Amino acid sequence: MNTTGELTLNMLKEKFQVTEMRVESPNRVWARIAPDKILAIAKFLSNELEFDHLSSIAGADYGEALEAVYQITAYSHGIVLTLKAKVPKSNPVIDSLTPVYWNAAWYEREAYELLGISFRGNPNLAPLVLPAEMMGEYPLRKDYKGYPNPT
Amino acid sequence: MGEVEGAGSETAKVRPIQKIIDAHVTFTTTSAIHDFLKKTPLQDLINWGRKNSLWFLTQPMGCCGIEMICTGAPHYDTDRFGIIPRCSPRQADVMIISGYITKKYMPALKLLWDQMPEPKWVICMGDCSISGGPFWESYSTIINTEKYFPVDIYIPGCPPRPEQLIQGFVELQKKITAKQDRTQKGDT
Amino acid sequence: MNGEIETQINLKPSEMLLHLGPQHPLQPGPFLLDLVLEGETVKDATLEMGFIHKGIEKILENRTYLQCIPITDRMCYLASISNNEVFCSGVESLMGIEPTERAKYIRTIMLELTRIQSHLLGIGEYATDIGFLSMFLWMIREREPIISLLEMVTGARLNHSFVRFGGVAYDLPAGFKEKTLRTLNEIRKKVEKHDEIMSRDSVYLKRTKGVGVLSRKAAMELGVAGPAMRGSGVDYDIRKVDPYLLYPDLDFKVITAPNGDVFDRVKVRLSEILESIYIIEQCIDMIPGGPFKQGYNPYLIKPKPGEVYSRVEDPRGEMGMYIVSDGTFKPYRVKVRGPAFATMQALPPLLKGAYMADNAAIASSMDSCTSEVDR
Ligand code: SF4
Repeated sequence: MNTTGELTLNMLKEKFQVTEMRVESPNRVWARIAPDKILAIAKFLSNELEFDHLSSIAGADYGEALEAVYQITAYSHGIVLTLKAKVPKSNPVIDSLTPVYWNAAWYEREAYELLGISFRGNPNLAPLVLPAEMMGEYPLRKDYKGYPNPT
Repeated sequence: MGEVEGAGSETAKVRPIQKIIDAHVTFTTTSAIHDFLKKTPLQDLINWGRKNSLWFLTQPMGCCGIEMICTGAPHYDTDRFGIIPRCSPRQADVMIISGYITKKYMPALKLLWDQMPEPKWVICMGDCSISGGPFWESYSTIINTEKYFPVDIYIPGCPPRPEQLIQGFVELQKKITAKQDRTQKGDT
Repeated sequence: MNGEIETQINLKPSEMLLHLGPQHPLQPGPFLLDLVLEGETVKDATLEMGFIHKGIEKILENRTYLQCIPITDRMCYLASISNNEVFCSGVESLMGIEPTERAKYIRTIMLELTRIQSHLLGIGEYATDIGFLSMFLWMIREREPIISLLEMVTGARLNHSFVRFGGVAYDLPAGFKEKTLRTLNEIRKKVEKHDEIMSRDSVYLKRTKGVGVLSRKAAMELGVAGPAMRGSGVDYDIRKVDPYLLYPDLDFKVITAPNGDVFDRVKVRLSEILESIYIIEQCIDMIPGGPFKQGYNPYLIKPKPGEVYSRVEDPRGEMGMYIVSDGTFKPYRVKVRGPAFATMQALPPLLKGAYMADNAAIASSMDSCTSEVDR
């Protein structure tokens, strides 16, 4: 199947009512999605559009809201689809992608401990890189107090 | 019976010397023996032996660790100085802190240090282990190494070249000969 | 820390918990591998990372774009040029500039040299772990000439900080071409010899053939990267899939091997060294003249607001970087997707059911770089 970035976006638009989207270059497309649709979208992408490889999950802190950023791509073509989902800082919960992409597990653990986005359905949401006593400080948030730390 | 008595009289002769030794040293612990040896010229011989077999612990922790591995390998060949890489802390004399110490790794590093038999030395290799280097303001690194380990040699650089590491070992050897290292000064 | 894990895992009377690490003699960086053993067989494996987590992503947010380059070096010090490349190409596309033609050639050559030295060290470490110490010594011996080539251009043995936005830091020195061709010729002969040793030695074959098999389907599902993936027969290489720099015009093969065992993963690395030599030999004759960097003031880089995901093929696989710019002198958010992270994650499922004695071979055949996993 010959997927192009634009085609993918159009399909997403039809099926999931995605509104905000753009084509940045032939190989990079971008879309903002509703956080409760992420699992359905991932299932659709991997089953029907051959987007079978999750490249990374990042989180970002935008003041009042946190954003989960997914880079989904494929082994057969070079299109990287960036999906952004906004979650409120007071209750940052989003569905985990582990049922669709096995390798989401560690990316989600990392985003959880560094930014505090909690992934519902992740089998083991334990700290990965931080020592246990630093859990809950969320160092990558912009209002984190412990940086710089000249001790 | 007579022999025993004779022996007894001999010990009686020896006893004054024994008394003197007893008064000054008690060979009860290893450190007591070491303390005694330190006052004798024998220590120079021991130091000569020690300084020519500085086996170091390979535990790469960062970029400097790669340079440490390379230093032990053919091109730089530290074996010619008696500096041999060891994989187990129980066989090592020198611990090279080769990279960033994090809060999470600190307990493990302490454990490695405690497992090494005396006499032992620490070399800080690279800016990270000396003062934090490029990561000095990070939330997870420890930058005051000397608070935790009695460091003898600091090798600045990011990363130091293998030649510099060898130079560090040479300086350590000089310190051991001059009895100025922290193990011999008791400053640990 | 260890106590916690022991209480979490409920052991049966016939099982035993074995901690491997965090100190590993030759892996470049500490990590803790907990194995639940029943007799000789691994029942369960857990990885604990983060012993050298330095908070690089946070540091990058607080540096100007130029100051970020030396920090990206230190993510994976065995492949510092490809780390520079992924950061700089991301910022370049944010700024809307292209490297100059000469810089493209220099960068490609440097990337391939980095790949060669990283693979040599990776194979060396793996060889020690399976008890083949002489191979380690040979590999380090072969690596030194490559390091001197890199040093000749960049001035540093590791951590080169060589790539700049729209170019490179220095031009190639005089005599680089002749020296490179001579060195590469020697390396090729030696690597071919090592390849022969590694494919004929019966003891080595017994230890590696059919051990730690990662099937094609499993590799794609687990999302491992680089040679570990290509060793399972998947021809996934960012240089072909999403080409950058000169790679669209270059002639090279993606090396794959069919079986997915330890032997194949190492074989792929050895053949990739030869392929990289071939790539460099293509490029080095055609380097055009002209400037080696764009005339930007690197201290005053201020990309447009926006975000970008740039990818390169690191020696260990697909490396990506997600950069958000808010129009100031500092990046707003940088997220690194490291290949070693993806590969390490696949290690516990791979170790399950293996023999204890094979564990070192499997773990080090993945050629991980802890520093990049932790960041
Ligand atoms: S001093 Fe520099 S080279 Fe050494 S570990 Fe630190 S950052 Fe890496």
